[in-house]
Amino acid sequence: MYILQAINIHKNFGSLGVLHGVSLQVQKGEVIAIIGPSGSGKSTLLRCLNHLERIDSGQIEIEGETIAQNNSEGKAVYSSEAKIAQARRKMGMVFQNFNLFPHKSVMQNLIMAPTLVKNMGKAEAEESARLLLAKVGLSQKADNYPFELSGGQQQRVAIARALAMNPDIMCFDEPTSALDPELTGEVLMVMKDLALEDMTMVVVTHEIGFAREVADRVIFMDEGVIMEEGQAEEVLLNPRQERTSAFLSKVLMAR
Amino acid sequence: MDYIIMLLPSMLKGLTVTLKLFSITLVMALPLGVIMGMARISSFNPLRWFMEFYVWLFRGTPLLLQLLFMYFGLMTVGLRLEREMAAYLAFVLNYSAYLAEIFRAGIQSIDRGQYEAADVLGLSRYQTMKNIILPQVFKRVLPPIGNEVINLVKDTALVYVLAISELSRVARTHVMRDDTFIPFLIAAIFYLMMTGMVQRFFKWVELRYDYFH
Repeated sequence: MYILQAINIHKNFGSLGVLHGVSLQVQKGEVIAIIGPSGSGKSTLLRCLNHLERIDSGQIEIEGETIAQNNSEGKAVYSSEAKIAQARRKMGMVFQNFNLFPHKSVMQNLIMAPTLVKNMGKAEAEESARLLLAKVGLSQKADNYPFELSGGQQQRVAIARALAMNPDIMCFDEPTSALDPELTGEVLMVMKDLALEDMTMVVVTHEIGFAREVADRVIFMDEGVIMEEGQAEEVLLNPRQERTSAFLSKVLMAR
Repeated sequence: MDYIIMLLPSMLKGLTVTLKLFSITLVMALPLGVIMGMARISSFNPLRWFMEFYVWLFRGTPLLLQLLFMYFGLMTVGLRLEREMAAYLAFVLNYSAYLAEIFRAGIQSIDRGQYEAADVLGLSRYQTMKNIILPQVFKRVLPPIGNEVINLVKDTALVYVLAISELSRVARTHVMRDDTFIPFLIAAIFYLMMTGMVQRFFKWVELRYDYFH
C-alpha cells in the first residue's frame, strides 16, 4: 500500500491548465524529489496533495483514505471536511517563505498547533518542542522571535514546527529557494537527517545535489506533466528525455 | 482668573458629557468594527453586500446629517429616542463603518502564507483568525485607528445640533452671554489635553507591540 497516492490529477487556474494528468505514488519512508523549470506545475502538485489547492479531476489517497475521487462525470469530489482534516494531519508542510508566525516566539510557533489542534498540555508540548529544536540545532533560540533569526534558522524552525504535529509525510515546497546560498546547507542538513530517520518526504527543489544524494526517486516535471521519473542517479546522470537533460544542464551550469 | 474659576464647573460638566460620548462610541465601535471588517470580506455574498452598502451609507453622508436623522428623522416615523441615545447611535454606527474599513484593509494586508501555514497545521478558521491573523492586524492598524480616535474627540462637538451641552456648546453659550473669547480658549485647551492623551496612549501601545516585526 502506498502512503500517498495521486492518480491522474488535473488542475486549472481559470482557463490556464497547470496539471494535465499527473500521477504519483509514494511508499513509506521514500524520499522523492520533484524538479523542473518554474511554471512546470511542481509546486501546484504539492499544494494539491496538501489540500491547499483543490483539484479539478483525479484521485488523492493519503494512508489509504480517499480524500478526493472522480464522480461519474470525471470531476473530482472531495470527502467530508472532517475526513480531509484527519488525513491532512498526517502531512507536514514547509514553505519557500517559511511562513513563521512573526508575533510568536520560536517556542510559541512550535507549540501552537499541538496545544490548539491536538489539545496537548503546554508542558508536554514544550518538552517535545525542545527536543525538536535540539534536533534542528536551535535550542538556544527558543525565546527569540522570527525576525531575530537568519533565513536558514527560520526555515529550520519551520521544519521543527511541522514536525511538532508528528506527521507521517513531510512536504517541502522549494525550502531553500528564498535563502542566501551560504544558508542553504544548514537547511539541507536537517532535511538529510530527516531522510535518514526514514521520514517519508516529497521535496520540490532546485537543489540537484541534494536530490542526487538524498532522494530515492526523482521526478522531472515540465508543462504540467511528469516527463521522466526514476532512480535519482538514473534521472540525474543519464536522463532519457531531451528536455530533462536540457533542464539539468541549465541548472548545473548556473552553479 | 476669577472668571475662569467661575466658568470651570459648567465647562467640566460639558467635558464629562463629551467624554461619555467619546467612551461609549469607542467601546462599542471598536469590537463592532472588527466584526464588520470581517463581515465585509465574508465569502457569504449577502452579508458582504450588506456591509458594503452599510459602509457606503455611513461613510458617504455627513455625521451631522446622521445625528439629525437619528433624532428628528426617526421622530417623524414615531420612533422617539432620547437625544443622548440618538447621538450614541449615530456615533457608534458611523465610527463602526470607518473602523470596519480599517480592519478590513488590515486583515487583507496579512500575507496569504500565514493562512496557509495555519491551515496545514490544522488550525480551524476561528483559531487562525484569533491566534494568527488578528494579533498581527492590531499592530498594523494602530496608526489609522489612532487617527480615527483623535477625530472622534473632535467630532463629539457635532452633537450640539441636538442641543446636547457638550464641551464646545457650553463654551459657545458662555462666549455669547459674557461677550469674551476666553471660554473658547479653555475648550481648546481641554480638547488638546484629550487628543494629547490619546496620542500618548497610542504611542505607548505601539511600543508594546514593538516586540515583533
